[in-house]
Amino acid sequence: MTEQYRSRFRTLTDGSDAPPGADHHIFIGPQHPWAEEPAHFIIHLKGERVVEADIRIGFNLRGIEKAMENKTWRQNTMLIPRACGICSAVHQNVYVRLAEKLAGIEDQISERAKLIRMFSLEAERIHSHILWYGILAHDAGFDTMLHVTWRDREIILDIVEDFSGNRVNPALMLIGGVKRDIPKEKADRAQPMLDKLIKQVEYHKKVFTEEASIRNRLEDVGILIKEDAKKVTPNGPTGRGSGLPFDVRKATPYELYDKIDWNLVYYTEGDILATTLVRLDETLESLQMCKQILYQLESTQGELLARVKQKIPEGSYFARGEAPRGEDVHYGIANGTDTPERYKIRAPSLGNIDATLKRMDGEYVADMPVILRSYDPCFSCTNRVMIINEVTGEKMILNQDEFARKVIKAKKYNRPFF
Amino acid sequence: MSDVLKELEGILNVALPGNLVEEVIKVEEGHFDVMSNVTNAFELMKILREDAGIYHLSTISGVEKDDEFNVCYHIQHRIEDEFREVPINLIITKIDKNKPKTPSMIEFFVAADYYEREIYDFYGIYFENHPFLQRLILPERWPDDVKPMRKEYGWEQIKEITMKITKEGLEEAK
Repeated sequence: MTEQYRSRFRTLTDGSDAPPGADHHIFIGPQHPWAEEPAHFIIHLKGERVVEADIRIGFNLRGIEKAMENKTWRQNTMLIPRACGICSAVHQNVYVRLAEKLAGIEDQISERAKLIRMFSLEAERIHSHILWYGILAHDAGFDTMLHVTWRDREIILDIVEDFSGNRVNPALMLIGGVKRDIPKEKADRAQPMLDKLIKQVEYHKKVFTEEASIRNRLEDVGILIKEDAKKVTPNGPTGRGSGLPFDVRKATPYELYDKIDWNLVYYTEGDILATTLVRLDETLESLQMCKQILYQLESTQGELLARVKQKIPEGSYFARGEAPRGEDVHYGIANGTDTPERYKIRAPSLGNIDATLKRMDGEYVADMPVILRSYDPCFSCTNRVMIINEVTGEKMILNQDEFARKVIKAKKYNRPFF
Repeated sequence: MSDVLKELEGILNVALPGNLVEEVIKVEEGHFDVMSNVTNAFELMKILREDAGIYHLSTISGVEKDDEFNVCYHIQHRIEDEFREVPINLIITKIDKNKPKTPSMIEFFVAADYYEREIYDFYGIYFENHPFLQRLILPERWPDDVKPMRKEYGWEQIKEITMKITKEGLEEAK
């Protein structure tokens, strides 16, 4: 098996260990206009066709797992959404479910709290998918679609902001329930907005399936057949586009996903168009779920927050959730104190890299942006920090390097940070 | 224990030899923890992969105990007709702390590559027969002997090392 997928075992940076037949090598990243986030792709070409592709990751290690071992379970509830900028709610949801299971209070969570959690998760899926297919259109050279989709994405962001106070990081969940309620007047305000967004997403789907200029860029490009998919184990929409009908919400239902009406979306073609259609159909599915949830909230009452003890008894648990990009996996071990003994996070993008490298074999180099985008790369989105001077209210937005430089200077010359 | 093992064997439709399995724990309905030790883990994984047909590996996590390391393979048994998955945590116990070594499962799962290299980075556990066991996630300047996820390194020490290598990098860039 290792001979078959040998691509990633090449170390090459100077062409010395090139695959047979390759005559050109293209290096993309770590800093590149195509990618918003740091990753290094090495693409070996013969003429215009790709022979092999390789990736180097690890430019954005932030040490969240280590940091979590030094904070309490309660504090970690607000650290865990920072694992990813876009899918923050699903990380928090998996974390709180894991902690509840270890504390033995998973039966005490009320239905109302579960519904509010589900709304947060589905709203996140909607805005993440819309963001993704907008950028996909941009990569395929169809910028009008980027602007149309991102305009419509504001609708769901407005709803999330109305419900939680934040646009992309709602942070609604706590161990034992949720932080805020969704009152009836807010739900009533959101219903017509969701109707409007459904119409818009149906229009997006029409563009992607009927407009020749975008369809031709996606159809029959980067095909990953089911047999190969089983070997390289993609998860989420990448796998569902290749005929692996597995969604954590269906496979091992959590919250109230087994009590709500929804259909599992999957296609068997395996090309980029199939993964795009999976996401478009899922957006529509999530939108009707959001409407159902808001309707059910009217008749469901219950405590928002159950009582939780600070100390969590010994034990280990493995929890999963369906993030917009795929299966989000957490494994936590508690040692009887108020801090975790060990906490492991695996975000979905890492599991999809193999599948994407497999997709590239034998494709044209001009299709690379679309194929690389297909798995929704998200190495991490929180590489900067905003600092506010408490006295003057002055604000600074810095990236990692600027921040480190400033800290070192401040320490060296023994002067204040600002 | 034997009841739980029988239930798992019924779901997987294979026989798991008793000498390979140390213990089976049922976490909840359709979710199992299977314990095995370093010498038997490879044989057990071979049965799970080739006879039971498990092909999905979610992730691998390393765990540090007081006197040993554990490596946990999170695999999913997939039942395609019912769109259902049965999560199984295969925990490899008794990995010697002084000379941590365990068989690599890359022969069965291509995806094991990244996860095993990550554990090699963070814990220094050596995976036998891995064709390319090299640094994956840690920065290039990170000292080779520091395995940051081990308990012997506190948060403050890790912060100090991070600041030091950042400073070196910045000075070199000048």
